[in-house]
Amino acid sequence: MEALLERAVGLMEQAGASYGDVRIRRDRTERLAVKNGRPEHIARSESAGLGVRVIVNGAWGFFGTHRIEEAALEDAVRQAVAIARASAAAQTDPVQLAPVDPAHDRYDTPFTKDPLAVPLEDKLDLLVRATKAMTGPNIKLAEAFFSAFITDQDFASTEGARIQQQIVQTGGGIAATAIADGDLQVRSYPNSFRGNFGTGGYELVEAMDLVGEAPRVADEAEALLVAPTCPEGRRTIILDGGQLALQVHESCGHPIELDRVLGMEIAYAGDSFLTLDKLGTYTYGSEQVNIVADATCAGGLGTFGYDDEGVPAQSTPIVEAGRFVGYLTSRETAPAVNRPSSGSMRASGWNRIPLIRMTNVNLLPGNAGTLDDLIADTDDGLLLVTNRSWSIDNKRLNFQFGTEMCREITNGRLGQVYRDATYTGITPQFWGSCDAICGPEAWRLWGTPNCGKGQPGQTARVGHGVAPARFRNVQVGVTS
Amino acid sequence: MTPKPARNPVAAREARLLDIGQAFVQACEADETDLLLADGRTLLTRFAGNRIHQNVGTEEAVAVIRVLVDGRLGVATADSFEGEALETARASALAIARASEPDPDWPGLPAPRPVTSVDAYDAATGAAPAEARAQFAATVIGAAREKGGEAAGIVEVSEGALAVVSSAGVAVATSHTQAEANALVTCGNGSGWAEAVGMRLADLDAERLGRRATLKADISRDPEPLEPGRYDVILEPPAVGEWLQYLAYVAFSGKDVDEGRSPLAGRLGQAVTGQQVSIWDDALDYRTLPAPFDYEGQPTGRLDLIRDGVAEGVATNHYRARKMGNDASTGHGLPASSSAECLPMHLFMQGGDSSAKHLLAETERGLLITRFHYTNILDPMKTVLTGMTRNGTFLVEDGQIVHAVRNLRYTENVLEALARIDGLSEQMTLVPGPCVVPTVRIREVAFTGTTEF
Repeated sequence: MEALLERAVGLMEQAGASYGDVRIRRDRTERLAVKNGRPEHIARSESAGLGVRVIVNGAWGFFGTHRIEEAALEDAVRQAVAIARASAAAQTDPVQLAPVDPAHDRYDTPFTKDPLAVPLEDKLDLLVRATKAMTGPNIKLAEAFFSAFITDQDFASTEGARIQQQIVQTGGGIAATAIADGDLQVRSYPNSFRGNFGTGGYELVEAMDLVGEAPRVADEAEALLVAPTCPEGRRTIILDGGQLALQVHESCGHPIELDRVLGMEIAYAGDSFLTLDKLGTYTYGSEQVNIVADATCAGGLGTFGYDDEGVPAQSTPIVEAGRFVGYLTSRETAPAVNRPSSGSMRASGWNRIPLIRMTNVNLLPGNAGTLDDLIADTDDGLLLVTNRSWSIDNKRLNFQFGTEMCREITNGRLGQVYRDATYTGITPQFWGSCDAICGPEAWRLWGTPNCGKGQPGQTARVGHGVAPARFRNVQVGVTS
Repeated sequence: MTPKPARNPVAAREARLLDIGQAFVQACEADETDLLLADGRTLLTRFAGNRIHQNVGTEEAVAVIRVLVDGRLGVATADSFEGEALETARASALAIARASEPDPDWPGLPAPRPVTSVDAYDAATGAAPAEARAQFAATVIGAAREKGGEAAGIVEVSEGALAVVSSAGVAVATSHTQAEANALVTCGNGSGWAEAVGMRLADLDAERLGRRATLKADISRDPEPLEPGRYDVILEPPAVGEWLQYLAYVAFSGKDVDEGRSPLAGRLGQAVTGQQVSIWDDALDYRTLPAPFDYEGQPTGRLDLIRDGVAEGVATNHYRARKMGNDASTGHGLPASSSAECLPMHLFMQGGDSSAKHLLAETERGLLITRFHYTNILDPMKTVLTGMTRNGTFLVEDGQIVHAVRNLRYTENVLEALARIDGLSEQMTLVPGPCVVPTVRIREVAFTGTTEF
């Protein structure tokens, strides 16, 4: 492998690249789905290849191939250089990269149990038991999921960086679907859309107690089927961790990606309301709101050693006491804000270029105690639990989320269960209405394993640490 | 389908894939085996701010192996056809099967059925050089610059081959090319959009694309706020295509119908929307991107999903078809590596007798909508979607565009909304998806929010 990397660097230099890097990467994936007590889908995949990225004549070119061999590498460099030369024909200013010290290092995700080495039978047994524990007169689908992703990568650049990494990401969850009279309600644990994820091994799934939580999940799905629809109005709301994590993801994580801000994604998922003039001065939220992008926090789904440009993982302040202070950046974009790269460039595979991706965009804990404390402190409001749907405009201002379950809060106590709850708002107004965030004891990491971006499309696995938080005067309950 | 003789590189590649597949299936010790093989190249140029900022190419291969051992299913995927990769995947699939449980509903792999050959490969597109994509981008950028605008977008070409071989006797192969381009032009605070997709890069008109997006951007400057509420809308093909794809996702999968989580569950044969609505899937129609067979090697063809407002059918693979009491699949099987099983992937919506121009001219008050953004599902059983308008939303009064309006959030039951269609263009346009759809006018669509631009 080392010889291939050195050969790539030599070829890129010979071809006149002012910068070049090569990643040789192997991804192994396992996905298990059990439905109603029996395995429905068990699949393993393996993908290995190399990707060559060059700057020639001030413009980028990239070529990836699944053939990890010298002849294919030579062809990939040739193709990348030809593509870069074509790019240069429609180039205005040459690409300039923020400096980084070339690292020689290795990083490995710490884990206890290799998720791919745990016998399939053991993993299936856990999932089967969890689905069998989700029962009820209208529970038509009891599902349990497990997924694991192991990435091994060798990185080399013409600047001298040589970095090896192994990233291990694991997760799972359960979902009960109650169906009756043409109606359907889903309740999930620990999060919707196949569960929760982090960096680490099978111990993450074992700690979820999927079997123990299963009866409650089924009971709540049944309760939702007969619950009234969440009434419309302006209300005080508390978001639980799973929903709040996605709120952070959509309304903070994406708009702080500097490539979006600079218009590089405008034709696909859009740009951002957090324009360059707002850096350091704009009021993003209330003084309660402090947000960092932290690729170093233990166990986060977006935790790693180095990004895919060889920049070390770091923690970047994003919002301080409500004031917008930082972006997620790359080596190419960071000069636009006169800062070094925040180390946010990641590719979804050997066959994709690195893009600015969220690391762990974390809402820091406040001082409102536990979720129970926050509920007790709320006279009149709603608790919104577990994401069900999401949508946000192309500058990340107008959003609408739906949750699986909603509970009325009256005089500090939980009451009526509501179904089909939605809430909507405008990002800075919404975060400006945040008046309480639970404390460190309620803060935990959530993984978003399906973050889409870029063309060709890439799916990133990113993290969000949050504690439940309260927002005032929010529009709730919009339906058609 | 008899493989074409290996007289050209395209046919030679298909023959090679079939050879690899047949050798693999014959050597596999499982009771049943099928193998999906695909390889190809994708080259994509992105531009933004009137320059090319990303320009990438890849060559990729994928093999999806499905084995049955004592009624137990195992699936594994590799990204190489070389011996070691396929062997590793085979061992993995067998290990999975042995760890699984027998599926009492397993019907066996589908038998071969006659497949209609399609000509879906354009050699010039498959060989288009980086310079051709750069020139395409430069033409779009040039059109935007004429109005002082900035262009962003993509131009993408891809080519590939696909083969399916199974121990049940399936052995089919095909090749395809695709070209897709879009342009988002901004003029000040106005923005406009245009897109095109087809089998041939030569059929995509960069000049037209750039001019259309620029025109919309130019006339959408200084959008005015509009109160949420119900408005009549004229949906252009990209917006119609987006709704149609989401409708297909929530409603037209045989798996979801069988499991009771589709709005069509128990409603086949019943009116589910207006009589003016007919939706079908047909991968053999050359108005879309044609494909002769699905990922199980089963023949494609026309499948009526909604005819004159009545739910007529749903898409199945072999497993789901047999489970639902049908002899054969509808030819909509997804790769075995996908738990979704089956989906319609070449959608059509029937047009009417009007035109986009006429629909606008006869609109008293309403909105002209270019496209939607970030659509998502609020309630699958009621087909309630939400999303934003984007890149050209205009107020229409007395048959004329009055001015652009700030983008709006819709929250709408799509099947109910389609029932309120009161005009469709005769022309049906291919949009990415792929979907072939008309421009439609719908009365009283619900807009539940606004944004600041």
